[in-house]
Amino acid sequence: MSDRCCLWVAVILYAAASALTARRLQRGLAAGTLHHINVALMVAGFLMHTLAMLWRGTHLGRCPLTNLFEVQIFLAWSAVFFYLLIGSSYRVSFLGAFTAPLVLVMLLTALLAPVDVAAPTPKKHSAWVETHAAIGILACGALALACVVGVMYLVQERQLKSGRPGRLMRVLPAVDQLDVIGFRLLLVGFALLTVGMIGGAISQRLVEPWPWSKTAWAALVWCLYGVLVAGRLSDRWRGRKAACGAIAVFLFTLVSFWGACWLAR
Amino acid sequence: MKLIVLGLNHRSAPVEVRERLAFPKAELGEATCRLLGAAPLSEAAIISTCNRVELYGLAAEPDKASAGMRRYLHDYHQLADSVDPYLYEFRGNDCITHLFEVVSGLDSMVLGETEILGQVKEAYAAAQQAGATGPALNRLFQKSFAAAKHIRTHTGITQGATSVANVAVELAEHIFRDLRASTVMVIGTGAMSEATAKALRSRGAGTILVCGRDRERAAELARQLGGQPIHYDDWPVEFARVDIVISATTAPHPILTPEKLEPLMRARHHRPLFLIDIGVPRDIEPSCGVMENVFLYNMDNLQQIAQENLAAREREIAVCRGMIAERVATLARWFEQHFP
Repeated sequence: MSDRCCLWVAVILYAAASALTARRLQRGLAAGTLHHINVALMVAGFLMHTLAMLWRGTHLGRCPLTNLFEVQIFLAWSAVFFYLLIGSSYRVSFLGAFTAPLVLVMLLTALLAPVDVAAPTPKKHSAWVETHAAIGILACGALALACVVGVMYLVQERQLKSGRPGRLMRVLPAVDQLDVIGFRLLLVGFALLTVGMIGGAISQRLVEPWPWSKTAWAALVWCLYGVLVAGRLSDRWRGRKAACGAIAVFLFTLVSFWGACWLAR
Repeated sequence: MKLIVLGLNHRSAPVEVRERLAFPKAELGEATCRLLGAAPLSEAAIISTCNRVELYGLAAEPDKASAGMRRYLHDYHQLADSVDPYLYEFRGNDCITHLFEVVSGLDSMVLGETEILGQVKEAYAAAQQAGATGPALNRLFQKSFAAAKHIRTHTGITQGATSVANVAVELAEHIFRDLRASTVMVIGTGAMSEATAKALRSRGAGTILVCGRDRERAAELARQLGGQPIHYDDWPVEFARVDIVISATTAPHPILTPEKLEPLMRARHHRPLFLIDIGVPRDIEPSCGVMENVFLYNMDNLQQIAQENLAAREREIAVCRGMIAERVATLARWFEQHFP
């Protein structure tokens, strides 16, 4: 079974989880056995996802982070990793409902778009570079989930502000819980991003220089998240502003990263 | 052998009749034993709540059993006049269907309420401990509990609060994850603000502050709620630690406007704030609801949500009845085989 086969199985499992949660949202069912089936599907998908990455890493003899396909697969994996960590720790109902579709889109675009091309001069990066890249993507996973939680916040806030909340309100977590979880994910993501940046700076100085455009882009993303963290710490940006910020900065990061990769090709 | 139920509920009898026929909880076991002696029944159970009294039994001769059960009710409660016009009776499959609908909350005054399941479980346990149930009623009640649980999980019959106070609580639980950590301020001491504060307290609301122009009334309500009375003029001072405000004053003008709320929100570090305005005329200017982290509901909003929830529950009745019909058919086959 190749890595792509494993990924397709993971796609099917995540798609099944998405369909099941959509059904639950439609019926307004918050708890019960369906929730456990949902989590089981996400766990099974995550295991296949992990297997695919291990397979690729082992066969290529390096950390699978050298092209857009691999980066996207790793990013989706990080998002599911934080979902399983946060969802079970905080018992956040329906976090999976919002995470699964995002992961599904990431995997499908990676599998279907012609982005799985070998680097023109395959070279084995130093451990410094690979660790820096892996931590950076892991940070993006946490920040992707912060974006998901931000979307959930906006949906729940809209329900509550409308004056006529529907079924969706009953199955989504309380807004103050979403606000706190979103902030914690932002902190974790920002801390990992900072470690990744420091690792990147060291590897640039000691191992191999990076193009200035990449360094500037990474610094810009770090600064944007830094502003979000500072705003939230000062209590100025909480609730809606914090949620919108987490969504906007993550989308900017994702789109600019994709754009930069396409332009580089 | 036939199952039989004889009883009365909030629809068939007024409260004056229901209260005369009610069985105290402590007497249920003994009363069930006496029913077995008074009527030709091989098994029996009695359900007694504030809205219903029902006698269940298994009888070889249902007509004689029915007469005996009616006599028993009359004698046990030492009634001077007949209560027959208030009683209903179901036999066989209709009896099974009735119990299933009762435990599922379909026959309750508040459609879909869940308290009835616990009350029927207690009644069944009392009858079982008194040795009044056998294989027929054991199966009937156990299957009814399973049906109620299935219906509760797979339909929306219990979803959405149907009273103004409970709608407010449900909303609060979707703004604050942990009501125990929240502070409630009651401004004005009307009946509706009292009911809403009590509902919040029953769901674990942490601190309750009560302020009203009538200081004695405010102190009394604070005592009932286990809260603290505060002076009416001090409410803006205490606002910084408040998460939920129930406002029901008779003030002719709004007591809270965006201009007043803005500095108060800053003092609260922009934490979410749930404003429940049940004053008429309104106490809180509607534009406060547009502010960030402020969730404002007035009496009309709450009543409309309660009505919509009730309508949504009513739409689920047909689905519930379909589920019940399937289970009744299965249980009816079992009864035909074992109690022909």
